[in-house]
Amino acid sequence: MIASAHSADKKVFEISRLSDEVKDLRSAFVDGRSKLMRLKMESTIIKKVEEKGLETSKVPPRKIKIIAQD
Amino acid sequence: MFVFALAVVFKLCTIQFVDGDKYRAMAQKRSVRAFDIPANRGNVYSADGSLLATSIPKYNIGIDAVTSSNKNFNKYIKPLCDSLSVFTGKSSGSIEKKITKARNTKDQYLLLLKNLSYSEFVRVRDFPLFKLGSIRGGFVYDQTTKREHPLGGIAERSIGYERKDENNYYTRVGIDGAFGKDYLRGKNGRRLKQKIGKGEWKPIRDVNEVEPQNGYDIYTTIDVNVQDIAHHSLLGQLEKYEAEHGCVVVMDVKTGEIKAISNLGRNREGKYYERLNYAVGESHEPGSTFKVMVMMAALEDKVIDTSTVVDTKNGRKRFYGRDINDSGAGHGKISAAKALEVSSNIGLATIIDDNYKDKPLKFLNRLYSWRLNDTLGVSIIGEGIPDIPKPGDEIWSKNALPSIAYGYNMKLTPLQTLAFYNAIANDGQLIKPRFLRAVKEFDRDIEVFEKEVLVDKICSDQTLFKIKDILKNIVVRGTGKKLYSETFSMAGKTGTARTDYGDYDAWLKDRKYVSSFAGYFPAENPKYSCIVVIHKPSTKVGFYGADVSGPVFKRIAQKIYTDTPLIDEMQSVEFNNPQVVQDFEKFNSISNKYKTIMPNLVGLPAMDAVAFLENMEVKVKVKVNGSGVVTSQSISKDIKLKFNQTIVLEAS
Repeated sequence: MIASAHSADKKVFEISRLSDEVKDLRSAFVDGRSKLMRLKMESTIIKKVEEKGLETSKVPPRKIKIIAQD
Repeated sequence: MFVFALAVVFKLCTIQFVDGDKYRAMAQKRSVRAFDIPANRGNVYSADGSLLATSIPKYNIGIDAVTSSNKNFNKYIKPLCDSLSVFTGKSSGSIEKKITKARNTKDQYLLLLKNLSYSEFVRVRDFPLFKLGSIRGGFVYDQTTKREHPLGGIAERSIGYERKDENNYYTRVGIDGAFGKDYLRGKNGRRLKQKIGKGEWKPIRDVNEVEPQNGYDIYTTIDVNVQDIAHHSLLGQLEKYEAEHGCVVVMDVKTGEIKAISNLGRNREGKYYERLNYAVGESHEPGSTFKVMVMMAALEDKVIDTSTVVDTKNGRKRFYGRDINDSGAGHGKISAAKALEVSSNIGLATIIDDNYKDKPLKFLNRLYSWRLNDTLGVSIIGEGIPDIPKPGDEIWSKNALPSIAYGYNMKLTPLQTLAFYNAIANDGQLIKPRFLRAVKEFDRDIEVFEKEVLVDKICSDQTLFKIKDILKNIVVRGTGKKLYSETFSMAGKTGTARTDYGDYDAWLKDRKYVSSFAGYFPAENPKYSCIVVIHKPSTKVGFYGADVSGPVFKRIAQKIYTDTPLIDEMQSVEFNNPQVVQDFEKFNSISNKYKTIMPNLVGLPAMDAVAFLENMEVKVKVKVNGSGVVTSQSISKDIKLKFNQTIVLEAS
């Protein structure tokens, strides 16, 4: 009876530790995600490649689609 | 002795049975408590699944300046303050002073850093002294949940938030606010817990008394790429023209989905950020963008045709004791279509006054039937109320009719104007702008939103055809011709309206305008409609709709155009060159036959010879002198090749 109560208590501590960890990891994830989202935005990329002399295209890419002849 | 024992037993019984319930209740009260289990608020996503709003933990870090031993404190205080100094940018000395003072005054909690993200928190936790933990190092932190927008300032107002004050009153902004109650919030759960050591509480039963229900996730229609471009090009124009505020909205023609919405206002320092949702909430005199609706009403009623001649005089005409002016020296006698192309106030006022002055309601009812006097009923809270007056209303006068003809003496929000232009692009079907695609719980759809049709067909195809033609020509040769591009097409109407002109003399000294551009692109088969409205640009830099707002529109149109690949289709062409076929077969037969044995390569092009050798099953090194046809080979034909052997080819 006492032993099982103690083991239950232990589990409670474990759960609280794990839920803290979940929060931490979640926060780390959103952190990374925010950073990534800002970095991958076109306006950021335009600024970054500007110094290399690159700029956005004025014309769209052209796809050549070949229709097979049977 | 026996009497004592009896007394003890008696007292025991009283406590146990007579007062038992009272004490048991007391004990339970002290060690049992009902805990709220907060429901996780749902996330807000963009159309492509990027996170727009989510709840994350944030950390406040403080120090218990008393708990650490003198030895540790003295050893680590300096390095700790140096680290904190690098982290915050404040001087190390001042931080040390603060902490030492706290230690002297026995302060058990000195707040050092607020609202840290997790990665920052981890960094600080490893600083000297803090590394020792809470008891030996005095590291104290608490964690709160904050709503975070990973995109930062972009579309912040439209993504929005929901905040509850101490009186349980909710402030509800944007999408997050509008859908908080129904979807995002979820329901808190409840659980009874019993106190155990270390400040922890243990659940009494193995199920919650009330299970928490996490909020649903919502998927918006926002396209992060278009939003990014819209935001930055609006910001650029606002800065260039030192304007007070502005907004831009991009809408998908067929579905009514809002692809981007940006609202930027200037603060006291002259910086722009998302302040109010102008696009949804601000109704104002639209000016010339409204001429399109007016022209369509006249065309649909067949009181004029595009070729009807209208006399716009020399730029000034008197209506009921009040002058109406055109910019410039006037256009003389022009066609109705031309009047709209050059955005002649007199032209439109004349058309409407001549044809409707005796029956204004006929004209107004046409506008009302297009729901221009109703709110759209969009989900974001606080939609501005449009106002197109009719006879009998307070702001109605004889001059009201000619004024309405060029977008004054009435009010509309940018979003309402956009919805109408979208209807033109969408073959006359007026649909409600919407911000939401779906509500989900993980991958399961809770609710999916479809397009909502407000008016099935606003006018005849003839009228649509005519107005589309004029809108296209405005960009080709009218007031929007500066925006014309040879590579991609767009159609729309410029607008330059006076604002804050109540005190006309004051206005003349400091002219304030609202510059706008509304339209759609591409001109044929439109995919997106868009409106840009910029309030109070500095007239020193410029104020015409085509100069101030047009470039934002063009940038977005161009961006979407350059993102969509052009597809050239062509029939496949079969070559039948006998020489090529012969060479190919020769090559093939050699490479199929010789896998480990040296073939005869003399007479083959060096390029092919190298390819043979590199494709052998035995790995060999190849050296070629020359680049033409192979004339000799260092290993003779039919000799078995060895691993890593070097073969020298001489070529012409």
